This record gives sequence, C-alpha cells and structure tokens, in this order.
Amino acid sequence: MNSKALTQSIKALSANPVRTFLTTLGIMIGIATVITVLSAGAGFRSLINDEIKSLGSDTLFIKTRVPPTIKNRASTLTPGIAVGITTFVQRDLDDIKKLNNVTNDYGMVTGMAIAGYRDNQKNTIYFGSSAERFSIDQHTLKEGRFYTQAEDTGAAQVAILGSNIAKNLFVQDDPLGKLVHLGNLNFLVIGVYDVQGSVGGQGADDSIYVPLGTAQKKMLGVNYITVAVVQLKNTNLADATAAQIALTLEQNHNITNPEKNDFIIMTQAQVLDIYNTIFNGITILLIAIASISLIVGGVGIMNIMYVVVTERTAEIGLKKSVGATNSDILKEFLIESILVTVLGGVIGILLGTLLSWLVAVVATANGLTWTFTVPLYAIIIAVGVSAAIGISFGVLPARSAAKLDPIEALRYE
Amino acid sequence: MSLIEIDNLKKNYVNDEVVTHVLHNINFKINEGEFVAIMGPSGSGKSTLMHILSFLDRPTSGVYKFEGKDIKDFDDDYLAKLRNEKVGFVFQSFNLLARTTVLDNVKLPLVYSKIKDLDSLAEKALESVGLSHRLNYFTNQISGGEKQRVAIARALVNNPAVIFADEPTGNLDSKSGNTVMYILQKLNNEGHTIILVTHETDTANHAKRIIKIKDGEIISDEKITKRTIAEEDKDLIK
Repeated sequence: MNSKALTQSIKALSANPVRTFLTTLGIMIGIATVITVLSAGAGFRSLINDEIKSLGSDTLFIKTRVPPTIKNRASTLTPGIAVGITTFVQRDLDDIKKLNNVTNDYGMVTGMAIAGYRDNQKNTIYFGSSAERFSIDQHTLKEGRFYTQAEDTGAAQVAILGSNIAKNLFVQDDPLGKLVHLGNLNFLVIGVYDVQGSVGGQGADDSIYVPLGTAQKKMLGVNYITVAVVQLKNTNLADATAAQIALTLEQNHNITNPEKNDFIIMTQAQVLDIYNTIFNGITILLIAIASISLIVGGVGIMNIMYVVVTERTAEIGLKKSVGATNSDILKEFLIESILVTVLGGVIGILLGTLLSWLVAVVATANGLTWTFTVPLYAIIIAVGVSAAIGISFGVLPARSAAKLDPIEALRYE
Repeated sequence: MSLIEIDNLKKNYVNDEVVTHVLHNINFKINEGEFVAIMGPSGSGKSTLMHILSFLDRPTSGVYKFEGKDIKDFDDDYLAKLRNEKVGFVFQSFNLLARTTVLDNVKLPLVYSKIKDLDSLAEKALESVGLSHRLNYFTNQISGGEKQRVAIARALVNNPAVIFADEPTGNLDSKSGNTVMYILQKLNNEGHTIILVTHETDTANHAKRIIKIKDGEIISDEKITKRTIAEEDKDLIK
C-alpha cells in the first residue's frame, strides 16, 4: 500500500516537472546554504587548527597584562599585549625552563617600524625572539637559514622575512644576502619564510623576524619581553604545568594575590577554545540566516500544495469514489510534499557541495592550506531538516485534501 | 436475500438551519443480475439516491442493507472499502485522470486494494470494452466515446457486485452513446448488476426495470415491457 502511494506521488510530481522544480527552489537554496556554511566552517576550523598546531602543538603561551584594578577592569577582557609591564624578563624564562614538564621556551617582543629596500617602503610589524624559537615553531624557510644563539646574544643585525613582505619589498630580486632597513638600522636578510597563512590576523607573512637581543637593545631599548612560548614534554599535564609556571612568575614578580597577576597563561587547548567559540557563534548565526530561507521555502511548498489540492479536487473525489480512504489521500499528499522537499534537499546538497568546493579552490588559490570536506553531519542535518519541512508544511494541505467530501469533489470542475 | 434492500429511507440536508427534504419514504429491493434505471428530472433526488446506494453518502434515517448488512454499522473507512471492492462507477463527465495513460486510469481502483497483479486485471478489463489497442495512450489522446469505455473498464476492473452509471451517455454523441449502452447490456448479460441513473427515457429504456423518482419520492417502479437493445457497432467493438 505504501509503495503504491509512493508510485502515485511520483506520478503526480513527474506530471509537472517544471512546477516541481520551482516548488523546491527555496528548499534547494536553503539546504545549499547550510551545506556551504557547515563545509566552509569545517574547512576554516581545520585551517585554524593546523595553523595553531604549526606554532608547536605542545606549547603554552604567556602574555603580559596590566593587572586588573577597579579602574581598569576592562583590561582583563582584552588578551592583547599589555603596555607598561616591564617585569617579565629572561630570568623568568630560565626558571620556567627548569620545571619538570618543560623542554624549552622562548621570549618575544614586538614592535612596528618602517621596512625598506631601495624605493620600496612598508610599515611592518617585527618580532624579536630568541633563537630557541626555531626549535619550537614548526614553520619552515623557503630559503636561507635561521639565526643562531650567538647572533641573538650578540644582537646581530640579521633578519628573516615573512613571505609577503619579502615579495613586497624585493619584488623580483632575491632578498637573501641583501640589506633591508628596519627603523634606523640595516639588517642582513638571512632567510625567507614559506607561506604561513595568518592566524587571527597577526599577519605572520607580513612580518620581519629578528633576534630578541637585537630588538631589545638596539630597537626598543628595553630588557623585558611581552610574550613567551613554552614547549611541554607532556601536553596532558598542560594545566598542571601552567599552574607551576604561574607560581614561578608570582614568586619572581613578588605577587601575593593571584588576581593581580601581570601575566596570563594560555594552553593551546584554551587558544583553540577561543577560536572554536568564535566559530561556533558565527556558524550558528549563518545557519540561522540559512534557516530563514528554509522556512520561506517550506511556506512556498505549503502554498503550492494548497494549489495542487484545489487543482486536483476532482481527482481526489474520484480516488475516494473508487475506494481511497482519508488516510490514503493524506498519505499521498504528504509523501508528495516530502518527496518535493527531499528532492530539493538532495539538489541543495549537490549545489552546496559544489559551492564548498569553489570556496576551497579560491582559498587554496590564495595560499591557504584548505581541506575541502563536506561533513557527514551536514548532509544528515540537510536531509533531516528538509524531510521535517516536507512533513510539517505538507500536513495542512494534505489534511484538507483528505477531508474533502467525495460528492462535492467529484462535481468540482 | 436481495443485493440491495432499502426500507423507508430519508435524506435531509440542513443548510443555515433550513431543512431540505431530498428523499423521503423510499422503499425498494434490487436483486443480483438486475439492470435498473433510476429516472427522474433534475432536482428529483435521483443523484442523492445513487450517492447513498454507492456508499458515498449516508441516509438521514431508514435502513439500507447491502448484501444483508445494515450499512449504519459501518465506519467511513469500511464504506471506502465497500466502494473499492463492491462498486464500480461510470460518470457523465468520465472523470479520468489527466496526463495519465489509459492503463493507469483503469488500474486506479486496484491501487487502493490489496490486489497485486494490477496490470493483467486492467488489461483484461480494457479488452472487454474493446480498447486493448489504446493501453498506453494518454487520456487526452482518445475520443469521448473511448474515454467513457475506459471509465467502464475502470468500473469493471475490481469485479464489483454493482456498477453505477450516472448519465453515462450525457456527454456523448448518439453513436458513442449507443456503444456505451451496448457494453452495459453485455455486462449485464454476463451477470453484472447495473444501476443506471438518467433523466432520458431513451437511455432508461435500455434497462430491465425503471424506478421513477419525483420530488424525492418514488412515483413508479415497474418492469420495462418494450426494452431497447443496443446494436453492436462493428467499427467500435472488435
């Protein structure tokens, strides 16, 4: 009986293919949007995860911050680099390195300066970091070499360029062995990074990397650091190690109340959490927008189904006169609206997959390591949602069809 | 036991608290194998009577026994089942499904039954009305007379106890109308009970018995003495 009802519904739909297609258009677009959003979200998420892991998958971050007071409570909410905290120094890092679960660490300062080569000038962020950086950070060089411990302590004027800044300043020339201006100093270019992509807009490819000692002594005139990266032996113990580091820093900085700490420690899990929270928010927002089109599509289907019921009144009367029960008629129209929406869902999935693939192609063309995936849960959601729409928006027209009086319906012209 | 037994049947319609008495004091019996014409002018209540007899409607009061059972005891789904298994309809305006083949139209009653072998039954029914050569035509590709013969095949396909023909020649030219009446008489000769509803005396005369209705009452119920026998048309029936 059900397969017979299905056959009836398929016959009814294929009798008018253009209308069937138009009916399902809203659902199609909605589902395509959902698939694209979920797929692009998954791609972006894996991109960010890869990026963060490439910083060293087993690391903690320490940043200085202005300790919260009643006046500047807001600053606790901004995880940016604090200005004016001078207490975080190399000695802290040496102490942290002595902790059980720590293999290595490096400190960093950042600044902005105008970088120049011949006529090309560019305002640039530079990172001064110690040579340990290169044993923790996993990014590779396109050419040249990293600077050494000796160059760091000796405040040598050597620099490694991000891939973009190298291209912008040197255009066709090979930067290796050339001198680049940074602020008032000349630096010998000893290396160029591969494309790194950008995590959270830090612009790694647009930055210049110099030894910590050089940045501290010759450029900024300071002896403190603002950011440190700590490499762990066992990432499972990250939270415990973070607590030990906090204790060490509190002792070194003479802080008795942990609420007044002038630093924050973030484990990689926490960093990922922050990004994931943001992405989940954005994904939910986009899906909410997409569901508006799903609802509009559903109303469209309900509308057409009412028209179809009116149009087929005589047919319904005939079917009842030859023995169709109310539930037979209900079933036929319900299956018809479910078929229409699921058809829209399937075409939407194909369309969404195509769009997601295009997104991946464009992203890859822009130098991002973007993996093209359409997550299984996205497909399940899409099919489930469209079937649910078919049922919920199809049930009213189907019921009105089932309740038609056969005598009235037979007379209908 | 009669196939159909009507005892003191009444039908009222209530519209805006105004009661219309459509049928009152209707009594008759119809036995298996009869060919009965229910005749009357429009508004006489003959269509309402047919709707009740064919389980599309229920009487307001009185008894309608079909095969000895009072239909009052049956719910709507069971009446649908009765229509499916016991009744075949032929309508004035054919009521075929558009954009559908002849074969699929004839199969329609079987779709709502438990029967599995739809195609061969439908083909057999179409053969008996001489339309085996039109199986895969769409209903808009055949003539009016052929359409009504498709409708007859559809009424036959479930091998019903009774076939209701509601003005079956009303939309046909006289030649096609004659063929339709020829087929109905042939089916009756083969043992099918037929109830014909019409307002035309010429058509009614093809039956064996005429029940005349006027203003909701039976005014006469008698055998036809000079019955019209429809001639077989060699062009239409193979």
